[in-house]
Amino acid sequence: MAWAQQARNDLLRIVRINEEIKAIVGVAFKINIMALNAIFLAKRAGTAARGFGVLSHELRVFSQDLRDSMVGLTRLIHACVSEVSHVLQDIRQTRLLHQAVESSRDRRLVEVLAERESRNAEHAQHLIVLRKQLKRALDDAFQLVELGGMLAKSAKIEAAYGQSFAASLAQVSGEFDGVVEEIRTSLEALRRSAFFTGR
Amino acid sequence: MKTTKTIFQDGNHKWVAIVRDPDRPDFLIDTNEYLVTHGSQGLLLDPGGAEIFPAVFSALSSEFDPLALIGVFASHQDPDTCSSLALWLEFNPKMRCYVSWMWAGFIPHFGGSAETFVSIPDEGADIPLDGLTLRAVPAHYLHSSGNFHLYDKAARMLFSGDVGAALLPAGESGLFVEDFDAHIRHAEGFHRRWMGSNEAKRAWCERVSKLEIDMLCPQHGAIYQGADVQRFINWFDELQVGLCGG
Repeated sequence: MAWAQQARNDLLRIVRINEEIKAIVGVAFKINIMALNAIFLAKRAGTAARGFGVLSHELRVFSQDLRDSMVGLTRLIHACVSEVSHVLQDIRQTRLLHQAVESSRDRRLVEVLAERESRNAEHAQHLIVLRKQLKRALDDAFQLVELGGMLAKSAKIEAAYGQSFAASLAQVSGEFDGVVEEIRTSLEALRRSAFFTGR
Repeated sequence: MKTTKTIFQDGNHKWVAIVRDPDRPDFLIDTNEYLVTHGSQGLLLDPGGAEIFPAVFSALSSEFDPLALIGVFASHQDPDTCSSLALWLEFNPKMRCYVSWMWAGFIPHFGGSAETFVSIPDEGADIPLDGLTLRAVPAHYLHSSGNFHLYDKAARMLFSGDVGAALLPAGESGLFVEDFDAHIRHAEGFHRRWMGSNEAKRAWCERVSKLEIDMLCPQHGAIYQGADVQRFINWFDELQVGLCGG
């Protein structure tokens, strides 16, 4: 029963992770638009915002990398959902086979149950592997966002050199920083999800 | 555990009813499963839902080697008829599932592979069982749109799926109908609501009236035998079906 509860909890936790990832994908799209606007703004500002322009371009690349990273995470989440679903099915099949073994005199059913339990162990092992892969992918995404955060902070510094455009550039870079920080906080929470810690 | 009762036997040709599980939770509808054996092979008719697999398996295995089952016959696609399929296949992956072509793509959601399913065409088909020929008899729209009953000419037995079914009140658990008039009251509401077509019902009554039947064995409730078989067919023929009481 503890096994069944664990699987049900896992499914809930994966669904929550998936919802968070979906929200991050939305934000990544927003960064892309913001970066595009920032590139136009830097072009208008001319040489005074050359550095800001380079950073805006890098932030645009970052938003694409972030979306790619989220695609990879989504793929892993789907694999986890599939595996947990197998585990939930295993639990039901195993419970019914156990009951059949207890009430039947046919000893061959014991072998069928043993085979079933061996397959259950394979599914459980596969889920452990996927759990590790998902954690690693989240860590990688977090590193990527840390880099995004540095770009946003550098853009803030560059904005100060934007002469008459400094105020608009500061506003844009501040928005970058806020959005990237939002993603960083989300990913940090996901890395601590009970799906990985079991608590 | 369910109990088994041999309801027909001629040498190694048998019909065994697997019925009445005292441990069945009330929220699951009670079902009858039937095992037909001939020679060294067996065919299980409407093997039942997954939740009752332990009860059916243990009862069946007390009577017959479950590895000698060549397959299951699913009268239609409902979960109480065959959602245990995956568990039977775990025990014996070579088993086949005979079912209407209409459901051959739906029932795999309960389990099985492409090799598991033998589609029965609308007009019915013969199913061989170690020298015996069983006949899948069309009963479409009674209640499922792709529905078959199974006739065993040699034993004069008809497995009639939901036709003839009765929702028996607690305490009435006799295997055979003893008082037709009293029994049929428990069948009336079920037939009015579950059977969708008067035309299909008429065709079925005509079809089975031509068959020699000693026992009519439904998936729920009690078995009709002797004169009660024709009595049931006449009663059903007169009944207006496809009606919602509410």
